[in-house]
Amino acid sequence: MKQCMITFRSVTPAQRGEGMLKRAGIDCTLQRTPRWMEEQGCGYCLKLSCAHIPRAVAVLQENQIHYRKVYLYRKEGQLEEMHL
Amino acid sequence: MIYLDNGATSFHKPPTVAAAMQCALENCANPGRGGYQASMAAAKTVLRCRETAGRLFECTPEQVVFTANCTHGLNMAIRTLVKPGSRVVITGFEHNAVVRPLYELKADIRVTGRSLFNHADLLEKWEDALRRGTDVAVFTHCSNVFGYILPVEEMAALCKQYRVPFVIDAAQSAGTLPVSLSGLGADFIAAPGHKGLLGPQGTGLLLCNRLPKPLLQGGTGSNSKSRLMPDFLPDIAEAGTLNVPGIAGLQAGMAYVEKLGPQNILVKEQQQAKRCALGLEKLGLRVFYGEPQCGTVSFVPEKDCEEVADYLAKHGLAVRAGLHCAPLAHESAGTLETGTVRVSFGHDATPHQSSALLLSLEKCVGKK
Repeated sequence: MKQCMITFRSVTPAQRGEGMLKRAGIDCTLQRTPRWMEEQGCGYCLKLSCAHIPRAVAVLQENQIHYRKVYLYRKEGQLEEMHL
Repeated sequence: MIYLDNGATSFHKPPTVAAAMQCALENCANPGRGGYQASMAAAKTVLRCRETAGRLFECTPEQVVFTANCTHGLNMAIRTLVKPGSRVVITGFEHNAVVRPLYELKADIRVTGRSLFNHADLLEKWEDALRRGTDVAVFTHCSNVFGYILPVEEMAALCKQYRVPFVIDAAQSAGTLPVSLSGLGADFIAAPGHKGLLGPQGTGLLLCNRLPKPLLQGGTGSNSKSRLMPDFLPDIAEAGTLNVPGIAGLQAGMAYVEKLGPQNILVKEQQQAKRCALGLEKLGLRVFYGEPQCGTVSFVPEKDCEEVADYLAKHGLAVRAGLHCAPLAHESAGTLETGTVRVSFGHDATPHQSSALLLSLEKCVGKK
């Protein structure tokens, strides 16, 4: 199962996003964004199955939760930005 | 001690408040600064409090900024909207937390509506001031001295009609009266965490409908590469480590208020305030009582008000005497020279409290 990552600018929207996705039945894990991929210095992200990305993004947008970017795990340690 | 100074701070907090603070001290590190358990536990505690505030004040959790007290929030809101020379309309019942920042900023202050318990007069003068040209309006929801509840819905509607940005001081109303950020459409609403919301001292909220100008700059755990503060809520206004134990206690206080229902707390307080006012009148004291009024009553004794408060303190009753940091309100009511004795009931108001006060006062005012 391919893994994806949604990044957020701070902990508050990331936490709110986590709550909303879980309430919508989408499993996800809240964690710190890897340093090398965080353009602004530090942030939080949600890790989840790529199969849920379209619905997850729709839930975040519906609830006006601002997220930064969506990434796809290519292989270990490598991520590629997804343009939805 | 019978505590009747809830206008200053609520004293008998629900036991869950201290328990939540203790739990935060033992389990929470710095929120938004790490991915380890103790940092995430702190972030959860903080978010929970924002969510509870969001439900109580009808706004999103991001619109909730934590402050050290109501004064802190009012300063931030006022400094965002007011520039030197700005024409600012206020009511005649404002606290120094509103008046002093406006003077400091050299605003052109217009005081309007100085008649107690007179909505018609206030609204007429309020509209007149807005019509004549006002840049910003700042007004209290409820007078901290007299318990006079102002017609904030109508005042807010007039501000919107004349496109005047406005700030509401909910120091005496948050936790008992309906306060809705989305409903009132205020630019900012400031509230203390430690009064009607039953949280610990050192907590407060600034509810934001627009980005505030921060009073402090520093670390936020976000946008760290930038030399500037983040341009989004709540981070823009929360530089430095948050008061997590205080926020945990505030959440517990607000949860208690939610459970009891602000309206039920208000009715309880109002019943005792009315009972007290009628009893004070029978004692021949000058009492400020009218409609609508919250659980706060002020009176002027024949003796010095500090002397009366001192007598009551010695007999186990805590009230507040003097000017209550609101000389403007006293000027409006004609009590600037004497001050008043203020009795303010809380969520735990009982007939026993008002009876004990009246009994003690009967003895006190009878003593020549």
